[in-house]
Amino acid sequence: MTTKLTQHSTAEYFAKNLQQVGFSSPVKAVLTTLKEAVDNSLDACEDAAILPELEVIIRKIGQGSARNTELVEVIVDDNGPGIDADDLPSVFGEYLSSSKFGRGRCSRGQQGIGISAATTWAQLTNAAGVRVISKTKNMRKAIKEQIDVDIKANKGLVKNKETIDWDRPHGTRVEFRIDGRVQLNGDGGLLTYLEGTTLVNPHMTLKYKLLDNDPVEVIRVSNAVPEVPPPTLPHPHTMKLGEFMTHAHLYGKVTLDNFLRKGFSRVADEAIKGFVKNGLPKSFLSKPVTGLSEADYKTAFQAIQASELQNPSTRSVMIVGEEALSKSIQRLGEIDFFSVVTRKPRICDYKPVAVEVAIARFVKKVNLGDETDPIQLLRFANRVPLQFDKAACAITQAVESVNWRAYGLQQSKSNLPLGPYVFAISVVSPFIKFKNASKETIDASDELVEEIRRALMQAGQKLSRHIKREVRAADLERKLQHIEKFGPILVEALGKIVNAPKARIKRAEEGLAKLLGRDGREAEKELAEAETQLEKVKAKQEAVVREGASGSTDETKEPLKANQSETKE
Amino acid sequence: MAAPETLRKSSKDIPKIANKICDDMLKDLEHAKRPLLEAVKCSLDNSFYDPKVGYLTPGKKKVATELNVSSVQKMARTVFFLDILLNNIRTGGVNTKRELYYMAKGLIKSDSHLKPLDFDDQPESDAIIEFICDMLMVYREEMNCFANDRGGQTYSKQLVVTEHLPDGTRAEVDLGSLGTTPFQPKNKPQVFKLKTKGKIDFCLIIESEGTANTLVSNGFTKRYKSILVGAQGVPSNGVRGWVRTIQDQLKIPCFFYGDLDAYTLQNIFRTLKAGSAASLIRNSEFSAPDVRFLGVLPEDVKKYDLHCYPVSEKNPAEARSLKKARDVLQNDPFFQDRRNKKLADILNWLLKNKVRCEQQAIFSVNPKDPTMPEKIIVEKIKRGSFV
Repeated sequence: MTTKLTQHSTAEYFAKNLQQVGFSSPVKAVLTTLKEAVDNSLDACEDAAILPELEVIIRKIGQGSARNTELVEVIVDDNGPGIDADDLPSVFGEYLSSSKFGRGRCSRGQQGIGISAATTWAQLTNAAGVRVISKTKNMRKAIKEQIDVDIKANKGLVKNKETIDWDRPHGTRVEFRIDGRVQLNGDGGLLTYLEGTTLVNPHMTLKYKLLDNDPVEVIRVSNAVPEVPPPTLPHPHTMKLGEFMTHAHLYGKVTLDNFLRKGFSRVADEAIKGFVKNGLPKSFLSKPVTGLSEADYKTAFQAIQASELQNPSTRSVMIVGEEALSKSIQRLGEIDFFSVVTRKPRICDYKPVAVEVAIARFVKKVNLGDETDPIQLLRFANRVPLQFDKAACAITQAVESVNWRAYGLQQSKSNLPLGPYVFAISVVSPFIKFKNASKETIDASDELVEEIRRALMQAGQKLSRHIKREVRAADLERKLQHIEKFGPILVEALGKIVNAPKARIKRAEEGLAKLLGRDGREAEKELAEAETQLEKVKAKQEAVVREGASGSTDETKEPLKANQSETKE
Repeated sequence: MAAPETLRKSSKDIPKIANKICDDMLKDLEHAKRPLLEAVKCSLDNSFYDPKVGYLTPGKKKVATELNVSSVQKMARTVFFLDILLNNIRTGGVNTKRELYYMAKGLIKSDSHLKPLDFDDQPESDAIIEFICDMLMVYREEMNCFANDRGGQTYSKQLVVTEHLPDGTRAEVDLGSLGTTPFQPKNKPQVFKLKTKGKIDFCLIIESEGTANTLVSNGFTKRYKSILVGAQGVPSNGVRGWVRTIQDQLKIPCFFYGDLDAYTLQNIFRTLKAGSAASLIRNSEFSAPDVRFLGVLPEDVKKYDLHCYPVSEKNPAEARSLKKARDVLQNDPFFQDRRNKKLADILNWLLKNKVRCEQQAIFSVNPKDPTMPEKIIVEKIKRGSFV
């Protein structure tokens, strides 16, 4: 008996497997829909060098079609460049239709699956896809239409198309009506997502209204649109042998020397000398790459891997920057103190990666526990919050592996530390290794965990300055109490044993008061010194926050240098 | 109640010394000078061993506590506790550390202004008691603070013990008349006078009390004119003081028989023979320098083909024991002394061969003969096969 083989479209596959891309439960469906829409808006604004202004509305509008679900409306409105009428069906209704696939950029979206999956979810649960309004600056009127997914053909289907007047020069508004359930707080909550997105997008102004809560507006703290890094030539250390050979064949009949210089970043005279020193036969350099045998390639590749090379260009990896993060974190609540670290990009698992850490202690913030609760951990990959499957993530593992007690935080061994802190850790790379297609966890390789750990430890060192002051203050308090409590008892007990007259006891009490007073003053002095140190640090941070957001790329240079020297130590 | 009469009656006038220390502290305070309390540092790096003396003695290192805002609590607690202990000495009261902990709590409860001194748990009060003892250079028993009784079980057909009791009476115990019941001295100074019915050839101290009992059940003490003591692991003050009494009063050869491993050599045998670093100030009375190590010796492993267990660096507990053996060779003055080279050689042998042999391994030699273990032990003594 033979089985009939059939072909299926990509859309069919995803329509059957939406749980793989973040639609595995009603709660996650709402979050994923919001996330995909916001990611697209922010990416579009960045590409067009527009400072993003987003508005998010989430409301319940009735019963869902499935049991135990509600019909939830998710609206995301942006001031982005808008989408051409011809492109609308493929953007929202076609899988793997993307401008970013495999380009090696640090954009939020990568494959072109997410927003089409959201359209599919709306269509499967509410029998209607996404409703879009879009206008580019060349259009006089905006287009309003509904887009469904033609699941058999993996194509977008336009319905109810009309042109309308819209009060803005350009932008896009999407409305999804889906089956779901709304969860605001906790690791997987919508509020947690919006807070995280706020933190790593200092240039974004965000208005949101969630259910019946009061509307919230978060104003941008940076006027610099992040420069979208251009795709750069690959770095030799990011490749495996097979990739190296394929890459060489793209260059045709050029010499190896020429190929190495033209085909890679960070390869020039010095680097080539280094390759020769590490075992690359000099004669190979003048040979055409087409004439090299597999063994020759291997020899050349091994020599390159054995050589020290400059790190990949900072420009190939996008960072928020310490200063922008410092400003942005103030938007999450009333902060007691904070510490931010942006590490220089380095290679982990053959890919350039930059790690940024912001740790803040809050006086007042929604969603945060007290001294006895674990810290709130915000994880980001390419500036997108990761909210599920915390335990397996490289970031969580790195946080748990650090001994936070050394920096003054409470922590039971190999667990998250405790206290009213937010730990925000952002991993940025053109090629992040995710554990699954829904991009919820970063694969925990040893190199990446170590790199995150280092960033955390740097941030911890900065943090400990604040905590030390607190400890000193508590110490002084304790010591002063000791004097009052134990001094009289000591003198009295001594007097009892030696049977001393009252006059002697009085003299001893006076002497003791003098001695301990001296100590008390000493402790006060130490505290004052610690406070002065801390004030300096705080003043520095405040200066940074006050400074204008202009020229943010220049601003990041200084702390980066500092980090470099710390790393070398 | 009169102070108990003890054999190891303190040569020191504790109330006088304590009074002097307190008087000096008070004087310092009157002159707004910081009082300083000094105690002997009881640790291996302050231990010295002279084979002529026979046990570990303290060096010159001191642990000093000067009054400041951080130490005022400890000092107040020390003086408070000193008063309790001095009262015990005056009245003849005797207590364990646990009892003293509760007594201190009771006193604090009855006087609200003492409340800051309160102890959360016994280790806190124990540390203060130990500091006082080290400061006065006396041992706990001299301050009438006794640990739980844990002397070694002793069997002999020839030994007669006369105890001088605090009330002036005497009690005579003929060990030969006790049947299968052992004589067990206390872990506190008792006034013993030993005599023998006929000659006693030797005293054998066995690490495992179980094995000691087996030997007795099989008739060891009937066949050999001897004293048999079970050490019960690391020898307590009771065992150490008791063996010292036997050694000094009867002047008979004493042998120790236990496992062949670093723990037995360093923690058990060395403590019995030369005392410990933690008890530097009382080793003079709680060590028996004449005791010899009868086995198990490396030569016995070979001669009797005894079963050994491998000691692996991979097993954390075993790796620790190997590390300890190395440390001991480098830092323990007892094993570094030339006279104890043969004992150090055994440690080196253990490190080299990475095995350990248990004392019960001799039961594998001709198991059909229940008297085989005692035959081996006695043969070794006769042959001079000991260190």
